[in-house]
Amino acid sequence: MEFEFDEDQRLLKQLVRETVIRSRNQPPDQLWATYRGLGWLDAPPVELTIVLEELGYVADPTPFLATATWFMPLTGRTPDGSGTGVFDGSGRFVLDADRADEVALLTSDGVVLRPGGAPRVATFDPTLHVGHVDAPGLVAGIPDLALTGLAITAVGACRHVLDLVVAHVKQRHQFGVPIGSFQAVKHKAADMYVAIERARALAYYAALTIAEDDPRAYEAARMAKTAAGECQRLVYQSGLQLFGAMGYTWENELQIYLKRAKACDLLLGTAAEHRKALVA
Amino acid sequence: MKLTDDAEVEKFRAEFAAFLDANLPAETEATERPRSTSHIPEWARRWQRKLFEAGWLVPGNPPEYGGRHATLPQMVAHQEELSRRRIYHSFNPQGVGIIAASLLSFGTEEQKRRWAVPILRAEITASLGMSEPGAGSDLAGLATRAVADGDHFVVNGQKVWTSGAHDADVLLTFVRTDPDAPKHKGISVLLIPTATEGVTRRPFASINGAHDTDFNEVFFNDAEVPKENLVGPLNEGWRVANGSLGHERTMLWLGYVEWMDDVIRDSPCPHGEWYADLLMDRQALRLLGYQQLSGTRNPAEVSVLKLFGSEAVQRATLHALEAGGAESLLHPAQTGPYSHMSMESSWASWFERYTRSFGGTIAGGTSEIQRNIIAERILGLPR
Repeated sequence: MEFEFDEDQRLLKQLVRETVIRSRNQPPDQLWATYRGLGWLDAPPVELTIVLEELGYVADPTPFLATATWFMPLTGRTPDGSGTGVFDGSGRFVLDADRADEVALLTSDGVVLRPGGAPRVATFDPTLHVGHVDAPGLVAGIPDLALTGLAITAVGACRHVLDLVVAHVKQRHQFGVPIGSFQAVKHKAADMYVAIERARALAYYAALTIAEDDPRAYEAARMAKTAAGECQRLVYQSGLQLFGAMGYTWENELQIYLKRAKACDLLLGTAAEHRKALVA
Repeated sequence: MKLTDDAEVEKFRAEFAAFLDANLPAETEATERPRSTSHIPEWARRWQRKLFEAGWLVPGNPPEYGGRHATLPQMVAHQEELSRRRIYHSFNPQGVGIIAASLLSFGTEEQKRRWAVPILRAEITASLGMSEPGAGSDLAGLATRAVADGDHFVVNGQKVWTSGAHDADVLLTFVRTDPDAPKHKGISVLLIPTATEGVTRRPFASINGAHDTDFNEVFFNDAEVPKENLVGPLNEGWRVANGSLGHERTMLWLGYVEWMDDVIRDSPCPHGEWYADLLMDRQALRLLGYQQLSGTRNPAEVSVLKLFGSEAVQRATLHALEAGGAESLLHPAQTGPYSHMSMESSWASWFERYTRSFGGTIAGGTSEIQRNIIAERILGLPR
C-alpha cells in the first residue's frame, strides 16, 4: 500500500485551499459557480476527498457536498445545476433538499428524479441547508461516498477548530504565561490532533477503496463515518473547553466549525450507529 | 495513494514467504523456551543464523550484516509476513533491533566485526542500559559515571529496567563522561561485557508473575572498560541515543499493529462495540504508519504513532480482559494458539496481555512525554 498524496494531489490541495481562502467572503451562488468552473464535481474519489476536506475546513455554504456525494452516486451523472439524494428510506433531514435543483430518490422502483424546493428546516448550524422529502416507496441504501463525504467534511471542520484553539492558547495569557504552556492544555490539544489524524486517515482510505472499486469500501466508509464522529466528539468537547468563555459567544468563529462537525456526525447515522454496524 | 504494493514489494514478500515455508524450525525441535529477551535457546540461534546468512534477518542491512539492501516498504512486508505467522526473527530483539543497529550506524569497523556481527548471528546477546533509578523520562539526567584512566574507563553507577541483562553477553550502556557539561552534552556510550569484574546483575520479577524475570538492576562498581569500547565520539552519546531509538521508532508502529492483530484474532467478543474501535484503530495505525514511511511528514509524527498505537493496544487488551468476565481471572492462561516461534506473551492470559501493554505506554518515552512532543513540535505550543 502507498498512503501519501502524489504531486498532482498535493497541487490540488494547495489550489483548493487558496481558492477557498481567496473567495471566502463571496456569496454561496458565486462560490458554487467557481467550484463548478474548476471541475471539482468531476474529481475522482480521492481527489474529491481532498476538495471536501478543504471545504469542510471553511464550513462551505454551497450545495457541493450534497451534489457530489448525495446526488452523483445515485444518478451516476453530473447535474447541470445542483442536486441531492434521498437514500436512507425516511426522507428526513436531506442535505440541501430545499435548494437543490434536482433530488434523486432511491425507491423500490429504482432511482426517481424530482425538483427540489422542500421547506428549509432550521438547525443549529446557521449555514447548513436541510429539508424533509416526502415521497412514496423510499428505500434505504446509503452510498459509501455519502458517508465518506460527511466524514471528511467533519475532519476538515475539526482541523479548523484545532487551528483556532492552538492560536488561542498561544496568545491567551493567564498567570503570566501563555495557557498553551500548561500540560493540561497541551495534552488535550495533542489528543485532538491524534483523533483528527486517525479520522482523516480512515476517510482517505474509504475514498481509496471507492476509487479502486474494492470490496472493502462498505466497511471502510462506515469506519470513516464512525471515526469522524468520535473525532468531532473529542474536538468539540476539548475545543470549546480550551477556548474558555470566548468560544461560547456568537461572534467567535469557533462555533461555525464546531457546529458543522457536529452536524456531520448527526446526519446519516452517528458514530454509535455505524460502530454497531461494523460488528453486526 | 494506492491499496496494492509495488510489484517489487510483492515479489520480495513472496520470496520471503517461500523462504519461511521451507526453513521454519519444526515444533519438535523448538522445545526449549526463551526465558528472557537476551536468552536465545540453541534452536533459535540456528534459526537466527539461517536468516542472517540468507539476508532475511534485517533485510534493510547490506548482505554482510544479514540483509539485502531492502527498501522501507519491503522491510514492512518482511515484518508483516513474520507477524502474520507469529514468528520472531530474533529472541534477542533489542540486540538485533537497537544495539547491532546502533553499532552499524555509529561503531568502528572493529566494533561492527567484533560485536555487531556476533549479535546478528546470535552467537552473543545484548541488552540496553539506559534507564536509571533517577533517570527515566528525563533520560539525559543519567548519573552513571565513566572516568577515563589510561587505556580504559572506570564505570560506577546503576542501571535499572535493563531487559535481559542477566542473560546478556554485553550491555550497550549510556554513561556520563563530562559532569560539567550541560546534561545532554556529557553523555557517552560504552559496550560493557557483562563478564567484566565489578558488573553485578540482579533480575527482578514484573507484575506479570514471580517467574517473569526479564528486568534487571545492573550495578557498576569500579568496572574497567577498554577505551576501544566507546561507541561514537566521546560526549556524543545523546546523538547515539536518538539514532538508536530512532531506528526502532520508524518501525515501532508495526509492533502495535501486530499486537492488535493478535487481539483481533483471539478476541473472545467479536461483536462488542469496542471490537469495532479496535478494527478502526488497527486500520488507522497501519495507514498512518504507511504515511510516515513516505518520508514527507514531520519526524515528530512518530510520536503520534507511538502514542496512538500503544494506547490503542491498551484499550483493546483491557476490553478483551473485561469481556471475559470472571474467566479472565485465570492466570497463567492460554488465550491464543500456541506458536513455538513466538514469545509466550503473545498468547498469554488477557491479564498479562493487558499489563504488558503498559510496556508500550511507559517504555521508550511515556504517553505523557509523547503528548508534550506532539503539542510542542507539531502544534508549536510553548515549552
